[in-house]
Amino acid sequence: MNRHLRGLDWLNFFVANFQAGFGPFISIYLTSAGWTLGAIGEVLSAGTIAAMASQVPSGALVDAITRKRTAAAGAIVAVMLSALCIALWPAFLPIASAEVLHAFASSALGPAIAALSLVLVGHAALGERLGRNARYAALGNALAAGLMGLFGYYLSGRAVFLLTAALGLPALAALMAIGEQSVSRSMPADGAPVSATEPAARRGSWRLLGDRRLLIFCLCAALFQLANAAMLPIAAGLVTQRAGRVAPLVIAACIVGPQFITALVSPWAGRIAQSWGRRPVLLIGFVVLPIRGALLAAVVNPFMMILIQLLDGLSAAALGVLTPLIVADITRETGYYTTCLGLVGLAVGGGATLSTTAAGLVADRFGGGASFLSLAWVGLCAAALVAAAMPETRPPAPAQTASTPASTRPDRSPRQG
Amino acid sequence: MPILGKDVVSATGEKMGPIVDVLFNGAGKPLAAVIDFGGFLGVGTRKIAIDWSALLFDMGDKKNVIALDISRAQLEAAPEYQGPDRPVSIVTLPHAGGSGSPPGSPR
Repeated sequence: MNRHLRGLDWLNFFVANFQAGFGPFISIYLTSAGWTLGAIGEVLSAGTIAAMASQVPSGALVDAITRKRTAAAGAIVAVMLSALCIALWPAFLPIASAEVLHAFASSALGPAIAALSLVLVGHAALGERLGRNARYAALGNALAAGLMGLFGYYLSGRAVFLLTAALGLPALAALMAIGEQSVSRSMPADGAPVSATEPAARRGSWRLLGDRRLLIFCLCAALFQLANAAMLPIAAGLVTQRAGRVAPLVIAACIVGPQFITALVSPWAGRIAQSWGRRPVLLIGFVVLPIRGALLAAVVNPFMMILIQLLDGLSAAALGVLTPLIVADITRETGYYTTCLGLVGLAVGGGATLSTTAAGLVADRFGGGASFLSLAWVGLCAAALVAAAMPETRPPAPAQTASTPASTRPDRSPRQG
Repeated sequence: MPILGKDVVSATGEKMGPIVDVLFNGAGKPLAAVIDFGGFLGVGTRKIAIDWSALLFDMGDKKNVIALDISRAQLEAAPEYQGPDRPVSIVTLPHAGGSGSPPGSPR
């Protein structure tokens, strides 16, 4: 493994740290700064809307920037600025602006790292590379959750955001280690063209929007998040109610535990996706979700919930590796890779937002068990949709692809439904 | 002294969570404090309305401690505060008759 790819490992590791502070924790921080519930809700809504609105534009921007490393660096600096602004200036307008800036930056950062990976290793080795990306991101997430939990408990909310900003520095250093030279060359080691990320070769953006595979995958991903996003918050609420003094530790285990599973199985998921195809791995990730929902509905013991949550690590590995991989398959040689990643991001964000609202309503009215069961049903529909409608996107044979036009449909797979 | 965001501690000095809202009755008298309780990094917190008289203000101390005269078991059994548009159940002191007193008036 050369220096550039090691740099990419650590980039994934440190960038994952960014997301831990900005989620629900911001409401704890603003509460301690004396904010009212109403004002916190408004700022969080602004962040949610910006996160959705920014997906496609940020993806398109990354497509338009030839130097993906510059795009990633810009996004990291923007996230650092928004964390600093939140830490130092907790007034309404600065916080709202920082939330919006963070939304745009993080919608660019994920796609920029995916594009950078594609440029570095090419299509043929992308599955394996994305597996490594997901492993390091999961380890970064686990460390960040632990570290920020300690900072938040023993120091202050402000310390959490200062730490977030500081962690941007090692992320930038990792990005430097990747090196501009290797990124700007046009042919990766395996000789396959990198035109999926090359604006000069762009064509057929509207045809891509009509690509059945892309639309079905967006629908699958949206349904997955509709079933998935609310499970952890509702489980955590029940743990708070049932586990007493140790509840925060149990919730921490519910968050960190699955990350280790993801770190463990992601590289394997990437390799299987390469050798067997995308569909089997995707199906495993989707099938696990309704099982998790049904088990969470059945179990009362908070410690058992930690074990059930470990299943989330399998789904997260499958989705984390397969989303950028399938979109890379679909957008091959079009120049619209990250724009389409943004489109999937929009679908995922929509599903997640609807999930917490809808499941929260069900939980209020009918209890946590009913809420888990409804989420499990949606997850079952998502898995059925993958099984029935999602085609295999792996190209027929790596050797052929350099000369085959992008429009060739890879429908040679024996597993196609 | 501002009260929003102030942490409430248990009778044994354990950190319980911050006050995120105060509910008043029509006469402007505080009825309850809404406390955001539990969770990890903001995941899994529960908001519970606690009878104002269950809060013990110890302002002589440098730390300005607000202590809570309510057991953990009682907090765990308490219904969640659903926001200003929904009926509120206020957790009261044990000797004042358990949890689930009549709905509080709007702020």
